[in-house]
Amino acid sequence: MKYEFRFPDIGEGIREGTLMKWLVHEGEDIEEGQSLAEVETDKVTTEIPSPRTGKVLELKFEEGDTIEVEQVFITISIGGESENSQAPEEQEVVEEETAGVVGEVIASSELIPASTEGMITSSKESDEAKKVLATPVARQLAKDLNVDIRTVQGTGPNGRVMKEDINKTKETSQPIQQVKAAEISSDSIVYSDSERIERIPLTRIRKTIAEQMVVSRFTIPHTTAMDEIDVTALDEFRNKYKDRLKTEDVNLTYLPFIIKAVINILKEYPEFNSSYDMENQELLLKHFYHIGIATDTDRGLMVPVLRDADKKSIVHIAKEIEDLTSRAKNNKSELHELKGSTFTITNFGSIGGLFGIPIINYPESAILGMGRIVKKPIVKDDEIVIAKVLPLSLSYDHRIIDGASGARFLNLLSQLLSDPEILLMKS
Amino acid sequence: MSNKLNIVQAVNQALMNEMENDKTVIVYGEDVGLEGGVFRATVGLQEKFGKERAFDTPLAESAIVGTGVGMAINGLKPVVEMQFMGFSYPAFNQIISHVSRMRNRTRGGITLPMVIRAPYGGGIRALEHHSESTEAIYAHIPGLKVVIPSTPYDAKGLLIAAIRDPDPVLFLEPKRIYRAFKQDIPEEAYVLPIGKAKIVEEGKDVTIITWGAMVRDVQKASEMVKSKGIIPEIIDLRTISPMDRDTIIESVKKTGRAIVVHEAPKSFGVGAEIVSIINEKAFLYLEAPPTRVTGFDTIFPLPRGEKHYIPSPERIAKTIEDVVKF
Repeated sequence: MKYEFRFPDIGEGIREGTLMKWLVHEGEDIEEGQSLAEVETDKVTTEIPSPRTGKVLELKFEEGDTIEVEQVFITISIGGESENSQAPEEQEVVEEETAGVVGEVIASSELIPASTEGMITSSKESDEAKKVLATPVARQLAKDLNVDIRTVQGTGPNGRVMKEDINKTKETSQPIQQVKAAEISSDSIVYSDSERIERIPLTRIRKTIAEQMVVSRFTIPHTTAMDEIDVTALDEFRNKYKDRLKTEDVNLTYLPFIIKAVINILKEYPEFNSSYDMENQELLLKHFYHIGIATDTDRGLMVPVLRDADKKSIVHIAKEIEDLTSRAKNNKSELHELKGSTFTITNFGSIGGLFGIPIINYPESAILGMGRIVKKPIVKDDEIVIAKVLPLSLSYDHRIIDGASGARFLNLLSQLLSDPEILLMKS
Repeated sequence: MSNKLNIVQAVNQALMNEMENDKTVIVYGEDVGLEGGVFRATVGLQEKFGKERAFDTPLAESAIVGTGVGMAINGLKPVVEMQFMGFSYPAFNQIISHVSRMRNRTRGGITLPMVIRAPYGGGIRALEHHSESTEAIYAHIPGLKVVIPSTPYDAKGLLIAAIRDPDPVLFLEPKRIYRAFKQDIPEEAYVLPIGKAKIVEEGKDVTIITWGAMVRDVQKASEMVKSKGIIPEIIDLRTISPMDRDTIIESVKKTGRAIVVHEAPKSFGVGAEIVSIINEKAFLYLEAPPTRVTGFDTIFPLPRGEKHYIPSPERIAKTIEDVVKF
């Protein structure tokens, strides 16, 4: 029997993916659960497992093609039968002599399946009923405005999507649309030596990153506060335990301490752990602390999320960061690990920079950038001493956070990071 | 016990069963007795039950139906045959003035347990008046039930239900598929409920409502579009009036799209009625306008034009794609 495997809805609102690589070929015998293909979606590259054991009949797409959810992308022969078998009924199609005085009634002894009341030949279990209630005029408006009506919150009777709801949704996403509409196309730029320009299509992940950056930069009025923090004591403290923990396979970096310090401050200044809901003019304060760790990978910037960081020890955090970031680099992250952060930390210092203007991980309200720790002369107790100095850049949503709060955030961070014992007492 | 029968044989067996079960069942019409009907639907009845219960009449449709009214009032159950649906017009006065309104006229005092059978629809290269699909005319008359089977199993179960129904039923037989296929069906009598549609294929992208000979063409069209990832839900209406609105509405709410396929002319037809029901009851669920694939607003053509007139699987498949893409 032929089984048509449709590209599954892998959740999180993803509607399509790019087929990166087939892992099976036509004619191959496959097992249930065996990976069929590598597919890159907006967020992750994932392997799609086979739902059936059988033989591959047809690969419906070429590598590089875009597959939409629900499209048949592979057909499999299952049940030990060869291809296209439609379980032929016994068909002794013997033509019978027509009986009737008028006309030519087609006569055949083809046998159709015996019927019982309620018999249904089901080609596929029916999907869950579509739930969007809307008048056709509202659906048309959604189409015209390029709004996915399934994402619109209906305010009419029984949750019906009204025209106003669609307009509102459109307005909320307006800044992004405007930027898109502006289409800063390189086509319009004339280069004298255009033959020396290579055009490389963006990967799906790179496109998503680009879109997210634009959304963030054009939706949130960013401002950035910067400061230098003396982390000499923290460095000593870390060195004291670093080697010992290494024997336990824990790589103790500065980051777990910084996360601990940041959470302390987020609890004191919750607007840094919030989102601004412009549509409803509300601040969404989050009473959980999921810290995004911006990670540089071959495919671009990924942000795996350290969940409930406030409930974890420094050692635990160190281990989890190692796991999350190494899997992100090796393209092994799972989709849910890349979503839901409430505050993000980006460490450009690990590569070399001192200060930067990090772009907020939309829709969060702030992001902390860590620069490279350098030895510097500083004035301490009226004496010039050599200290280890950590440069920090804090970008925040200026709609909801004032400059003073930004400065306070960095002051507090300075206090906590310059004295690890205080930090541990408060964590 | 079961036996492999085609639709016309299933009709014959239903009549046999009911004439055996109930002595008040009387079968008559033009060529019904000795010859067994032009399509052999009544073959063997006269031989088995005698000339009093299965007999020929003159070419007089008005009289055939009119006498049936008298018989039914007086305790018999006449099952009369209009040789072709297109020959029923001379009896139209009897049907609309007496058959359909007897129960209402007597305020429920007298019901009219009568069945009017008629082969209907085109596709057999017949003459003028032999290919009509005017079910809409009859469905519009209050007090008359209009039933159309699409398989041997349904033909037998629905005809027996019609004979046992206390009210008049117009039973239309799709002659194009009279002998087109067989089906294993029980030898003994059984009934299928009148007024209940059947979901022939479950689907999710579009609901196709149809009946009679068109059911098979719709199934062929459905196979064509499945290769493109569209999975239609097919409803065989089985009874035109009273219509199973609930099954239609529920299905359209699920799929968001609807197509009615019928052989009759497009305008003022059953398709229009179904589209209206959908607009009234499932409006908010629609993702595309409910659409009709039908014959044309002309007299049914003579043989050379038939295949252009009756909706083909290709025409239906094209419409399905258009509606899903809308």
